Amino acid sequence: MTATVPEQHPRHRLDDLLQNPVRFSIMAALDRAGTLGFKEVRDAVEITDSALSKQASALEAAGYVSVGKSFAGKMPRTSLSLTRQGRAAWKAHLATLREIAGSAGEL
Amino acid sequence: METTSAPTAAEARALLERAERLSRGAHDATRWPYIAFILALGVATSMGTFAMAVTTGRGFGLAYVGTLAVTFVLLIFFMISIRGRSAFARSRRWTAYIASWFASYAAALAVVIWAHGDVVLAGVASGIVLVVALVCAAWEARS
Repeated sequence: MTATVPEQHPRHRLDDLLQNPVRFSIMAALDRAGTLGFKEVRDAVEITDSALSKQASALEAAGYVSVGKSFAGKMPRTSLSLTRQGRAAWKAHLATLREIAGSAGEL
Repeated sequence: METTSAPTAAEARALLERAERLSRGAHDATRWPYIAFILALGVATSMGTFAMAVTTGRGFGLAYVGTLAVTFVLLIFFMISIRGRSAFARSRRWTAYIASWFASYAAALAVVIWAHGDVVLAGVASGIVLVVALVCAAWEARS
């Protein structure tokens, strides 16, 4: 007789970090473009500079996003790029959401 | 500490739609100078190398200077239009576009240098430059 392991619900595979709506939106904005300027992300996500800065730091600490600093003349420029690890996490998160969206019953 | 509840099927669908909308919106808002640049660069260098390959003397000089001038203007336009933008600048995709264009342009220049006056070869080489640029622009537009 073999013991059957109950199948884990897809919600358990959701990335906790990406369940925050702002972090989710930042990752979504970077998905196609790969790299965007700080202002471009801010405009796309429609949040304040400080909120973006805070959430981008959290994503950077997790290794999902890399923050680049450069100068255009004397003007500092910050860019956000999706890392390989971040892209993998994002794809997995979306795949899980699709699984949940496609499931027949509500949670 | 953050606590988040798992989304329902309807919420998951809404999140997926939001992700798609944001991703497309951010990309569309930033990519047009890149598409315009690669297209214009392809057309200018294709026509320029063809003109250089089939002309001599003053005509060659005019084609040479004209191509350089147009390329210079395009670069200025590009630098101005992407000021403050970072999209694609360091992406592998953009590097691949420029590398593809450069390889085809180098081949067209080789025709200008070593097979000068050969209209068929010039047409093929210049055509390849144009096709590469069109494919890159179409690829970027569809991505």
